[in-house]
Formats: sequence, structure tokens, C-alpha cells
Amino acid sequence: MRSINLGHVGRIAAVVLGGSLLKMSLGHRRMLRPHTAKRRGAPKAGGHAEAVEVERSVTIGKTAEELYRLWRAPETLSRLLGGFAEVTPVEGDRMRWKVQGPFGQSVAWETRIVEDLPGERVRWESLPGAAWSLQGAVQFRAAPAQWGTEVTLRLHLHPPGGMPGEAAMRRLRAVPGGLVLKVLRRFKSLAETGEIPTLKNNPSARKSASAHGKRVC
Amino acid sequence: MRALCWNGVNDLRVETVPDPQIVSPHDVILRVTMSTTCGSDLHFIDGYIPTMREGDVIGHEFMGEVVEVGREVKKVKKGDRVVVPSFIVCGNCWYCQHDLWSLCDNTNPNPELQMAAFGQPTAGIYGYTHAFGGYAGAHAHYVRVPHADNDCFLVPEGLRDEQVIFLSDAAPTGYMGADFCGIQPGGTVAVWGAGGVGLMAMESAFLLGAERVIAIDRFPERLRLAREKAGAETLDYTQVDSVVEALREMTGGRGPDACIDAVGMEAHGTGVGYAYDRAKQALHLHSDRGQALREAILACRKGGTLSILGVYGLMDKFPIGAIMNKGLTVRTAQQHGQKYVPRLLEHVARGELDPSYLVTHRFSLEDAPRGYEMFKNKEEGCVRAVFTP
Ligand SMILES: [Zn+2]
Ligand SMILES: [Zn+2]
Repeated sequence: MRSINLGHVGRIAAVVLGGSLLKMSLGHRRMLRPHTAKRRGAPKAGGHAEAVEVERSVTIGKTAEELYRLWRAPETLSRLLGGFAEVTPVEGDRMRWKVQGPFGQSVAWETRIVEDLPGERVRWESLPGAAWSLQGAVQFRAAPAQWGTEVTLRLHLHPPGGMPGEAAMRRLRAVPGGLVLKVLRRFKSLAETGEIPTLKNNPSARKSASAHGKRVC
Repeated sequence: MRALCWNGVNDLRVETVPDPQIVSPHDVILRVTMSTTCGSDLHFIDGYIPTMREGDVIGHEFMGEVVEVGREVKKVKKGDRVVVPSFIVCGNCWYCQHDLWSLCDNTNPNPELQMAAFGQPTAGIYGYTHAFGGYAGAHAHYVRVPHADNDCFLVPEGLRDEQVIFLSDAAPTGYMGADFCGIQPGGTVAVWGAGGVGLMAMESAFLLGAERVIAIDRFPERLRLAREKAGAETLDYTQVDSVVEALREMTGGRGPDACIDAVGMEAHGTGVGYAYDRAKQALHLHSDRGQALREAILACRKGGTLSILGVYGLMDKFPIGAIMNKGLTVRTAQQHGQKYVPRLLEHVARGELDPSYLVTHRFSLEDAPRGYEMFKNKEEGCVRAVFTP
């Protein structure tokens, strides 16, 4: 696999969504137009860097109830994150996210569900005190005709201040739109077909393929 | 296993690669019995379509025998002899359920690459760039077929590989192109390009009721096939001052009722427009040479149909004014193979269609690079080369 120096951006995105997805996005970034991540608020002196908010939608041919159930199933988030991040339910409404970082270090944090309307909306937040303030929400809305359900995923990220945080955010702004979309499209494929399209073990003559006997793109 | 790999612009080599494996529950593994070259492969072999990666296995037109079956596969069985359309489809999404198979939403693992160029992602294809999924191709001993119940079509007994192989791509593409034309009794259809897809479009136009088909090309052997096998009238564009004028004269001044472009972005032609396109393409200033498409637009009768099968990326100098003022209907798509393969198999089984004459050259898989060279340069009248592993 081509090595990309992910640095701070990598660690941040790994924390947000999983490094393998980030690598896919960065690897193809020449093809991507700049994403329209919104910037919210002015930098706070000595406090936090600017926040990033991303919202993307996809239409899925299932009912809101079916999609809500699939989203809440214990193994779903881990599957959407490409097997890179493990998301496991803890007690109550808490979930534990564990990510293998690109340099072998693992990062873990917890979120709790702050709003849970079956068939409508799930919203979650990182627990107070986490270095990275992260809020996420998934919304299910009936689509017209026989299209099924419009699913919107929103992420709001508020990193700590200081140089590394700001530098990371500058580069991160070009990334999360693609990541959020990727997760949504994987969710759609899982919901509609029971599987996520994959290039796992895809034969090729690249060295990485023969060295490991398999290749994950 | 051995497989034909793309290593860079015009650099194809047969190499040893890992065998494919069942990775998703609806997969099967096919032992490829025959695969064939396709004109659209030439676009990325030549480097005109980006997102190929060094070492990619190519080939999207193929058939074979099922040797391994995933746990959720219901209809396809080990030992089945099947032909497989080049676009990979899920069978469940809105597009699959509306017979728009090449637009499937769920089979491209790299949808973001297409969204940048097209706004929405399309289905994945075997061996055809990472924007179209990055799946390994079928110029190989084995190939993984995802969603096999929707993507494998059982071949009736008694048909030879040569008769069936083109039902993977060339025949349904051509049939779809003719279907788009909404052919009325007495109708005349002009087809640019007498390669595999063009010839299949000509035969399909007759199957769908056309009275006249006119083939436009410059290679004598292809024009001969168009005449003798497909029953078309032919027009050698190097022998006329203006294809548009010649077609007008052949049709009482009206122009053909429908025009099918079976050429695509690497069209050849004559005149200033062609020289300009070629120079720009050579300088990588733009990717498409649109000569055939522009002729088709100008030649078509008012209120007629333009059916585009050739592969295009971005093209400038597109005469939208002619389309608009003449009230043309434009229909186009990558092939919706899953819609047409069953009826094409019936046509072949009943002896109404026999695409085997497209096979002009046979090679072992080991000699596939030579096969592509002959196909690309149309050496010895090569229309299609087929490979047997
Ligand atoms: Zn093709
Ligand atoms: Zn589909």
C-alpha cells in the first residue's frame, strides 16, 4: 500500500471516521473537487480552532424504520467504517470507538446518544472532556414516489486550539465531505443488498498484492 | 493464476497474480473459458481515461464456468456455463429495478471518483479503471463475479463459446443502441463504426424492423462484413467529400431516421475538424475526438433520434444548436446488458443472430498482448481477438 504521511490530519480523521477511508480519499484527491465543509464561528483566542461541519445525503430504497434498525444494529457502524474502526455499545446509550491509527497507535473515545427517535433521528456526542469535541447526527426522512428514504448524516467537529489543531483543520476541511459521503453510500449498499462493494483480495500485479496474497484498496 | 495486466500507457503484460476469492456472500468465481478485446479498452490502454493503476487486470467481455459459489447465491450453481455482462449490478436498487442496469447504485466501491466527473456514480465494470470500480478484469484464468444471481446468464446447450461471448458486451450494447432508435416500419438507420458493437447494432436494427441500414467506416474488411453478414449498405468515408451529404442523397434529401454512433472518443475522420481534434488530443488539451458524433448529428433527419454508444469523456465543440433546432431526441447509455441478454440468447438459439463472425483472431491468454496490438492497429482485418486461458 502506498504510504501517505498522514500526520495530524490523519490522526484527526482516524478519530473521526477511520484511517482507511481517509487514505482512499487522499489517494484520489486530485479527482475530487473541494468539499463544501462549512466553517462555523471565529477562532477563539487561546481556546479552540475553527469548527468543521459537514452534511451529506443519500436516498435509500428502504423504509425509515428498517434503516433506523440497521443503523442501530451493534455491528453496523464498524462495517460502515471499513473494519478499521470498531464501534461497540457500552452500557446505556454509550458507544466506544476504537481506531487503529496509521502508525500502529490506537485511539479510543466514547460517545453517548443524546437524542434517539426511532425511525427518525439519532444524535450523538463525545463525552465531556474529550480532546476532540465531536457531534454527529443521522436523520431519516421519507422520499417522494418509490424512492424510499432520504438519509442525512451530519458531523460537527471542534478541535482544540493551537498550531497543530489549526493546521490540521485547514487540511481536514478538504476531506470530511468525501468521508461522510463514503460512509453513507456504504450504508446504502448494505441496506439495499446486504453487502458493501469491496475490492478485498482483488487480483492485480502490484507488489502489494503478491506480497500479502491479498489487497485491500 | 495468469492474467493480462495494464502497466502503463500501451504496456500490457501477462503476469502471475493471486487467484480471486469469494469475498462477499453473493459472489461466484468463474473459470474463464473465453474473453475478448473491446474498443473501449483502447481508451484507457492509450491513456485517455485516467484512474488506471499499474498492475490492474483488464478485460470486461467474457464467459466461463462457475467453480465456486458464495453462501447467499441462490440461482447460479457450480458447473453452470454462463455469460456475464460487463457492468456489475446489484438487482435491488431503484436503477436495477427500472431496467437501467449500468446505472446501478451499489456496485462501485469508488463512487467518489465518478461523482467528481459525472455528478453521480454509475455501476462498476470488470477491469475498467478505478473510477468504474477497480474490479479485476477477465483476461485471466479466473474472475470474481459479484451479485452472481443478477450477473450470470445460463448458456443453453449446443451453443459454442464464439456464438455467446459477444452477448457479454458488444451484442447487448448494439441491441440497446438500435432499441433506443424507436425504429418504425420502413425506417432507415445509419451506424457509424463497423466494429463489433456497430455490426451488432446493424443486425439489431434489422431484428427490430428497420428497412435500411447504412454502415459508415473506412476499413474494407469491416465494410464487407457490414454488407455480407449484417446486410447493410455501406459508405466508405474516405471516398466521399462529405458523409452528411452522401447520407442525405441516399435518403432522398431527408437524412436517416436514426443515427447510431458506435465509434466513440477516438473517432477517425477527415478534414479540418478531425485534424484540430487530433492535435488537441495529442497535446492532452482535451480527451475526445468527436468527428463521428458531429457527423451523426448533422446527418440525422429533423425530429430523428441520435443514439450514442461510443464512449466519451468531456468533449468540446458539441453541436447542440443542430440538436436543438432540428428537434433531435438523444438517447445514450452504457449497456444495460441484463435487460437484453435473455432475448439475445433466444435470438442466437433460434439461429436469428450469430455473432461468431466477429472472431477474426484467436490467441492463448499468454499471447494476449499481441492480440491487443493486432486489434488496436486493425492488422490483418482484425475485428475482434478472443483469448482462451
Ligand atoms: Zn466493451
Ligand atoms: Zn443496482
